Amino acid sequence: MATNPKLAWLKGPTRPSTSSARPSSSRSVSKPGTPGPGNRPANGKPGTPSAYHNAINDPSGRMREYSNKDDKCPVCTTDRYLNPKLRLLVSPCYHKMCESCIDRLFTLGPAPCPICGKILRKSGFVAQTFEDLDVEKEVSVRRRIAREFNKKVEDFPDRKSYDDYLEEVEDITFNLINGVDLPQTEARIAAFRAANAALIEANIQRDSVAAAEQAAAEEEDKRFRAEQARMAAREEEDERTERERERRAVIEGLERGEDAEGVLRRTRAEAERRTRRAQELAAQQQLARASALTAFARPAKKDVIPDEPHIAYLDDLLSGAERYMLKPSYDDPVSDAARPELKSRWTIGGYRQAESWQRAVSCAVMGLGLGTVEDSAMEVDVGA
Amino acid sequence: MDVAERENLEAMRRWTKEAKIGEGTFAVVYRGRQVSTGRPVAIKKIKVGQFKDGLDMTAIREVKFLQELKHPNVIELLDVYSNKSNLNLVLEFLDSDLEMIIKDRNHVFKPADIKSWMAMTCRGLEFCHRNWILHRDLKPNNLLLAANGELKIADFGLARDFTDPGSKMTCQVITRWYRPPELFFGARAYGTGVDMWSVGCIFAELMLRVPYMAGETDLEQLKVIFRALGSPTEETWPGHTKLPDYVDLGRVPKPPMQDLFTAASQPALDLLQKFLLYDPLKRISAKDALHHKYLTSLPHPTHPSKLPKSGQPMKARPLPPDELDGKGAAVTGQGATKKRKSSTMGEDGPRKVARKLEFN
Repeated sequence: MATNPKLAWLKGPTRPSTSSARPSSSRSVSKPGTPGPGNRPANGKPGTPSAYHNAINDPSGRMREYSNKDDKCPVCTTDRYLNPKLRLLVSPCYHKMCESCIDRLFTLGPAPCPICGKILRKSGFVAQTFEDLDVEKEVSVRRRIAREFNKKVEDFPDRKSYDDYLEEVEDITFNLINGVDLPQTEARIAAFRAANAALIEANIQRDSVAAAEQAAAEEEDKRFRAEQARMAAREEEDERTERERERRAVIEGLERGEDAEGVLRRTRAEAERRTRRAQELAAQQQLARASALTAFARPAKKDVIPDEPHIAYLDDLLSGAERYMLKPSYDDPVSDAARPELKSRWTIGGYRQAESWQRAVSCAVMGLGLGTVEDSAMEVDVGA
Repeated sequence: MDVAERENLEAMRRWTKEAKIGEGTFAVVYRGRQVSTGRPVAIKKIKVGQFKDGLDMTAIREVKFLQELKHPNVIELLDVYSNKSNLNLVLEFLDSDLEMIIKDRNHVFKPADIKSWMAMTCRGLEFCHRNWILHRDLKPNNLLLAANGELKIADFGLARDFTDPGSKMTCQVITRWYRPPELFFGARAYGTGVDMWSVGCIFAELMLRVPYMAGETDLEQLKVIFRALGSPTEETWPGHTKLPDYVDLGRVPKPPMQDLFTAASQPALDLLQKFLLYDPLKRISAKDALHHKYLTSLPHPTHPSKLPKSGQPMKARPLPPDELDGKGAAVTGQGATKKRKSSTMGEDGPRKVARKLEFN
């Protein structure tokens, strides 16, 4: 039955050796997607992304992979003389080795690092950006920390707590870079993440909005500059054709046998007119440029209203409280049931006997001083 | 034509009505304009004449208190006039409320935003309390937002003055989720503490983006409160067992608030806890809240113009459900139309509060 090729599919996936009769048996052993020795494309020159996904991804193009003509793989001691396409990658434990060593050691799955013995995977290798691997490590640690410790000064009640927070972040960063108390440090990070999950999320959103705005502003700036350059080029072109046309007119005039004096005068008048027009045009363009500049500056300016410190009162209606002194107690039979020391139903619900007196007295004195008579100076006796 | 009639006619001519933007059993709200300046206003037309008892009590309260209160954080009553048998209140036009903003998941609230709203709420409320008026229906739905971001306290239909020692006050006020425990226990004399509890609930809601303590029934609500804050003891609230409707619901320990409000700063939690103290006499007053460390410390409250705004275009704001339900027996003639309205607006079920009127 196993020999019947038509029923081969019943057995599920077969090894290539047994299904050699099938036309589709040309499949290679290596897993698709992993750059095995068979399907690996030719390695480009150093510095260009090759079969590895972990090439440097920087859209601005300012960051480039580090390579040096004295590069030498510390594992197989191959150098650029023996392999001009030598490309060194960095492991998660910050050891360099060449691509062929990585292929050799890690294609069959996780294996120990030949230098320090840490178990590594092929996907963990990244391109080198900085010459000094300590810098490389610090940059990646800081990038990781900044992703989660993204609080801003606005998130703190005062400067002191913000400073404490920055201190803690720096402490954690130092520990990670230098390998001090790693388990404890990781625990601190986890605790911070748990305590601030919502805020971290909000801040990520805020940062992405800010980044988008920044990108839009840059884009706008670039467009504005391009537009300006194009305008300048067109101006120059116009100028040149104009001058050319004039020169031709003079020659043609002379060819037709006109009076040289007259031709010259006419050209001179024309040239004058042209410069005047050019000046006008320049002034106009200056204006347009200025307005374009302000138009560009406007979106950046929209958030300039500053947050002000809290003000307790916005009105100046006084309760008259400065006009009287409330006695600690009054002889008031109406509110006698609400005396606080009785702890009756009246007070438990939040009723204050003193408030009723305060209201009565303040209402009595509130209107004083509003009239023309200097009665605000009057001593008001609010005793019973 | 006597003087009053002439004045009324003059007032009527100052305003024009445009589209209808909301309707309840007792009132219809129109969008309108000031004729002289074109300033947009909201005109609340109160239907009079279909009630046995005469004018609706909420309308009387609204006019009575709003005419006295002029403050940047309290809705302004611009004019009152009557037309045929209807009473018209001309109010400031405000296009959204805090509830819409809280529900809109597109907004991320920064701590400074919440601080700004809290500062404006406390400022407006302190002004009411200073003038001896309790609002008694504070909830995000009643905190309206102007186009420039200013928050204004609105809907004084349940407001009343306080400190009168002779009169009992009703305990059937404030939307359930924002109602303090002393009202559930039937306290008939209370003070500013009831509003402060509501402010605490709103503060928590701003941080959580969902109502903090939402109970289905009054009893359920008490249980929810106790689960959130621990049950009151003789130390936290002396004498509370003596209140008329006190019920013993067993002991629940107080869970740490930090667990729920993970992103809240220390001063914010401190203020929240002071808003939600069981003893109404110990509960922080609006004035003290205005001077609390939370509001004065960094970050500064967001400038109102930069606060999150409602993204959706202005839509009809349904009137509070309690206004829509009406008072049952009071209306008999318009039963059919009334039923239809309350069924369309009835999805806010748990927010309803039985509105009992006091005539004392």
